[in-house]
Amino acid sequence: MKPKVAFFDFTCCEGCQLDTLNLTGEELVDLLNAVDIVNFREVKTEREDDYDIAFVEGSISRESEIPRLQQIRDHARVVVALGACACIGGINCLKNHLPMDEALRMVYAEDAKYYDTIPARPIDAVISVDFYVRGCPINTAELLKVVKALLLDKKPEIPNYPVCVECKMAGNVCVFEKGMTCLGPVIRAGCNAICVSSGRYCWGCRGLVDDPNIASEKDILEKYGLTVEQVIEKFKIYNTVAEVTK
Amino acid sequence: MQKHSVLVVDDEPIVLESIRDWLNEAGYQVATAETGEQALEMVEKQDFSVMVLDLRLPGKTGIKVLKEIKAERPWIKSILITAYPSTETEKEARELGAVDYLIKPFAPDDLEKLINETLSSIPPEPTTITAVETRPKPLVAEVVEVKKSFVITKEELKSLFDELVKTMDVVGVTPREGKYVYDRIASFEDLCLGYDVTVMPPTKYLLPEKETLVSLELGDEQKVEPVIDASPRALFGVHPYDIKAIELLDEAFMTTHPDPNYIARRRNTLIIGVDCLEPSPKSFASSMGTHLTETGFDLLLTDIGKDYMVTVGSERGADLLEKPAKVREPTGDEIAKQKAVRDAALAKYELSLDIARERLPKLLEDSYDTPYWEERSESCLSCGSCVMVCPTCFCFDVEDDVSLNLRDGERLRHWDGCVLQDFARVATGENFRHGKASRFRHRILRKGKYVLERYGMVGCVGCGRCATACLADIASPLEAFNALAEAAKIKDVRRIAGDVIPETELYVPRPAKLVTVVELTPKEKLFEFRFTDSEGLGHRPGQFVEISVMGIGEAPISISSSPTKDGTFQLAVRNVGNVTAALHGLKKGSTVGIRGPFGNGFPLEALEGKDLLLIAGGIGLFPLRSLIQHTLDSRGAFGRVILLFGARSPAERLFVDELATWSHSPDIEFHETVDRGDETWKGNVGVITTLIPKIEIDPGKTMAVVVGPPIMYRFVIGELKKKDLPDEHIILSLERRMKCGVGKCGHCQINGVYVCQEGPVFTLAEIRKLREAV
Repeated sequence: MKPKVAFFDFTCCEGCQLDTLNLTGEELVDLLNAVDIVNFREVKTEREDDYDIAFVEGSISRESEIPRLQQIRDHARVVVALGACACIGGINCLKNHLPMDEALRMVYAEDAKYYDTIPARPIDAVISVDFYVRGCPINTAELLKVVKALLLDKKPEIPNYPVCVECKMAGNVCVFEKGMTCLGPVIRAGCNAICVSSGRYCWGCRGLVDDPNIASEKDILEKYGLTVEQVIEKFKIYNTVAEVTK
Repeated sequence: MQKHSVLVVDDEPIVLESIRDWLNEAGYQVATAETGEQALEMVEKQDFSVMVLDLRLPGKTGIKVLKEIKAERPWIKSILITAYPSTETEKEARELGAVDYLIKPFAPDDLEKLINETLSSIPPEPTTITAVETRPKPLVAEVVEVKKSFVITKEELKSLFDELVKTMDVVGVTPREGKYVYDRIASFEDLCLGYDVTVMPPTKYLLPEKETLVSLELGDEQKVEPVIDASPRALFGVHPYDIKAIELLDEAFMTTHPDPNYIARRRNTLIIGVDCLEPSPKSFASSMGTHLTETGFDLLLTDIGKDYMVTVGSERGADLLEKPAKVREPTGDEIAKQKAVRDAALAKYELSLDIARERLPKLLEDSYDTPYWEERSESCLSCGSCVMVCPTCFCFDVEDDVSLNLRDGERLRHWDGCVLQDFARVATGENFRHGKASRFRHRILRKGKYVLERYGMVGCVGCGRCATACLADIASPLEAFNALAEAAKIKDVRRIAGDVIPETELYVPRPAKLVTVVELTPKEKLFEFRFTDSEGLGHRPGQFVEISVMGIGEAPISISSSPTKDGTFQLAVRNVGNVTAALHGLKKGSTVGIRGPFGNGFPLEALEGKDLLLIAGGIGLFPLRSLIQHTLDSRGAFGRVILLFGARSPAERLFVDELATWSHSPDIEFHETVDRGDETWKGNVGVITTLIPKIEIDPGKTMAVVVGPPIMYRFVIGELKKKDLPDEHIILSLERRMKCGVGKCGHCQINGVYVCQEGPVFTLAEIRKLREAV
């Protein structure tokens, strides 16, 4: 029996689901041979409430999203957080640095009164999550790795070491040696250091490793010329959610 | 306190004697030499803190002596003295590391003051050299020396390159983003031979960041094939320190369990070295003795200006030069030029070790508990950059990758490193190197001690890549060693890929069928397997196997049955990780893969004729059961057999039928306890240590064998010591993350010991020497 898979989205750009569709034709065929996709609004209009595995994209930023997410948890045997917003809150958490009514006014101006908002949070602040496919957007190879692990009933081996490891494997010249700064030393690998390999630096979209040495990373960023404010800004983009939910 | 020793070198006996007398009076140990040659000979045998060196000597001049000292014993502080001063010689002497330059005649006080100042910056040294004990290893092949040097023009070198490119991938150095990297080179013009250091070392072409070990098919028709890449490749322009690193990899991958993947690559890789004439400012290769090499290459180039000198290092190298006659004999001037450019390069090293390299293991051993590790690793990011860029790091992890069709896949190895958080974490969650300080220390000790003791070569070649890559600026072994230097002649044993017979099936599991499964508790099951070819396992009690469920992965499991059992073997498994969970889901008749047996097993020879005190805590009974069964099968060979078993609760007791049998058997004295009882339990309650005071043993003729969770060992050992049992009579089996089973991947190391090779069974006496162990 093929497991039934459903995709859901909350506060996000749905780019991770779009990336799922960027699998090669062959991969898509193999995927569809292995699972039944019963819910995926970017692909099909039919929907079903009977599913085994739920992929959830997006963070939670409105009260009304909470019961809907809890319902998904009740239905699914396995819940997989898909992408940075679902895993760590993502860039949605930038608004958490403002008072909520001010954030509403900034976005909706005089229509703000029609909307509600709460500080953005990852889905595991609301429900228990079994697995995480990280990144902004996700790495489809890693998505497949998680799918295959689920099919084999094993725990996917997702790195708990920093991006530096894969960046060195890729043979890159260190970002710091090129006069830029980077969050790679404290951010979880699994992306094959794609941003550095493309000439940029790590923004931290995959979230921190389990036991990051933040104090040392901050010292290093300052040593390489960032002000304290700039260091905080750098972490804010993806990685302030810990302060919000705790 | 040790006195500082001073070597005085002067060809005038009067000067020599008077300096000696002055310094003796000032409290120094003084030795004298009349020639440079004599001085160098003395320095070989004994380390001096300071050398007072005359510039004009018969034979080797003071400057020449200084040059050799800088390369061979860079920690010696030299003071030059001369009656013929010149700004040129002063400049040259200072470039070669001389701390001062005194003009004769000088007052005794001036010299004494200068020596005092020099010495105040360095710690006193013991004057005897600590010999390094290295493990004896069989010599794989006699190294045939084919050394001969020629001159090759740049045009001829280009045509040599053009020939190579036609038949193989040529990999060389090329600039990228202000740095140098190794990459495939298509045309000679893109090849850079005058670089300082590359971002990543060339060792990745022998041990790539990711490679397939075996291809696999899932399901009961298990099919596993080795996957070995043997495409020919040339590494063109490798610096001597990287060649030395490759020689170290040869030791690791061509001795004990010769690695088929490594050897295939090595055999098909041509190495064309080039002398490093512009060392990186972070490099200390001269201090590690790796700034030059006489071995490890097929050809070695030296840029002598218009042309290159080329030294032949192998038959293969000689053949390359032979095809069209591309080279000519060098002139005397050219030979001198080669020496001059090498000397000039040597003078450019800004960093050096302060003590002899052979003292490194002792120094590190003595420094094991210093606060240095904790303090210095405070800013460590555990980011892995230092180990990833290291040419001598070779540890790896192994992972199954399955195709989406779930029918086939591959088993991959990829780089891993001991400074990463989870490197020593096992499936049950324990992390045997938890804090960053212990990981930081392990890496440094590996570089300066463990690798040297295991392979006979220092584990750091001084390339300085880690020092460059480390953002926290803490990774350089030089800084950590702080005061180290050159070793006694390091054994010059080269491995020649063509002569080593690789274990082609090293990573290929043998298929075995699951014959029976018995549930011991809800978490633990006993599996019985038979190889599909019906061969036996041929193990000793206490050994382990690597068991594979294709597509899930591989895990080390101890063998629970006695070798006396015919045809099948049993593995008892707790469900804690991916592989064990998959095993628990298997049905009778399923196929698994088995590699092994691995490890040393219990020392049966030492146990025979003795009284045995066998102590098992929880699933420690799994490996111990093989020994219990063996002793019962050969009951006459042993004295008393006492078995103590402790479980956490009555529900967690294992092998309940066998426990019942043993409790009635006249062959075995059996005592049992549970940590917490319940209404059904009528026996002892209390931790396992409470059983030990109740038994009487003769410490002289009793051997204790203890297997259990790490926490249990300390307390059990405490109780056994109260019974006066000597350390040699206490035998423990240790759990570690044994990923490869063949002494390569590095995960199971306790200090420098590979548990999968020298263990998992150790005497307490052995363990007490391993400071990471208990």
